[in-house]
Amino acid sequence: MNLQQESQNGVVIVTPNGRLDISSAKLVEDSLIGIIDRGHTRLVLDLSQLDYISSAGLRTLLVVAKRVEGAKGKIALAALKPNVREVLEVGGFDRIFAIHADRASAVAAV
Amino acid sequence: MLTFVEEILLLMLDDQDGRLVDLPRSAMNGVIAGAVLMDLAMHDRIDSDLQELRVVNTTPTGDPLLDGTLASLSAAQGGRNSSAWVEEVARDADDLREKALARLVSRGILRKEEGRFLWVFHTRRYPIIDDREQREVKARLRELVLGTEIPDPRDVVLVCLVEAAGLWDLLLTEDEQDKAADRIAQLRKMDLVGQAMTQVVRDIQESIAVASTMAW
Repeated sequence: MNLQQESQNGVVIVTPNGRLDISSAKLVEDSLIGIIDRGHTRLVLDLSQLDYISSAGLRTLLVVAKRVEGAKGKIALAALKPNVREVLEVGGFDRIFAIHADRASAVAAV
Repeated sequence: MLTFVEEILLLMLDDQDGRLVDLPRSAMNGVIAGAVLMDLAMHDRIDSDLQELRVVNTTPTGDPLLDGTLASLSAAQGGRNSSAWVEEVARDADDLREKALARLVSRGILRKEEGRFLWVFHTRRYPIIDDREQREVKARLRELVLGTEIPDPRDVVLVCLVEAAGLWDLLLTEDEQDKAADRIAQLRKMDLVGQAMTQVVRDIQESIAVASTMAW
């Protein structure tokens, strides 16, 4: 798992690739919490390169969303692959996260 | 920190007389199985998706309440979905429940009382002698389902367990349950093993209801 990070108009865009499961959940969680704790509370997760998400990955997203909420920030997800989107919808995470078709609309929304 | 099995058993105990709530044993076993599996997930020993639940780390957690189940999961061949594992672990749930209750006694939270009903039938009760844990969990759950905050993963598990065990009557008034219905419906979906457990328990209760209807 690699996490690419860039900024655009004050929004931090993080792009994880590969699998978000138990083997990568801690890395992703620590990285994103670190970004939030450094004061970057407008976040977009570009999931266009994420191939798979498990229960552990969902927990990571929940922890991150809660941290953003605590920091009075905003977070959105962009460009989900259908299988990833299915897992998020089954878990009701589409009611926690704003989900956008592409990165540009997600950046505009946060 | 208490395990989920201990937490849900505390919630299932009647404050006054120390008896477990009236839930069919097979349904209670499903709840206990789900609790153990979700604890193993929190310990990063298992992971799951919509198709399969699998062991990702066979190293014992050091908690005897969890490690027997972890060993069984590790020894099993082939992939199974979460529901199948809830049903499998539920076979050991009587033992898990007794161990969890014994541990709550040894922690000084419960007292064990043996007795006889009509001088013949053996009875056992677990009056709560230190209700801080129970009160704290109840307050946390009330605040969560009546509020709008994003939950943390442990609280999602507790919501799943309370839902599967049908314990909302003990935590919320009827009006509060109406008010929180959508929120509970959302929260209980957020753990995939919790979802599977709730469905297994629901199926058990429906089959019991059908069987009793047919008996009449």
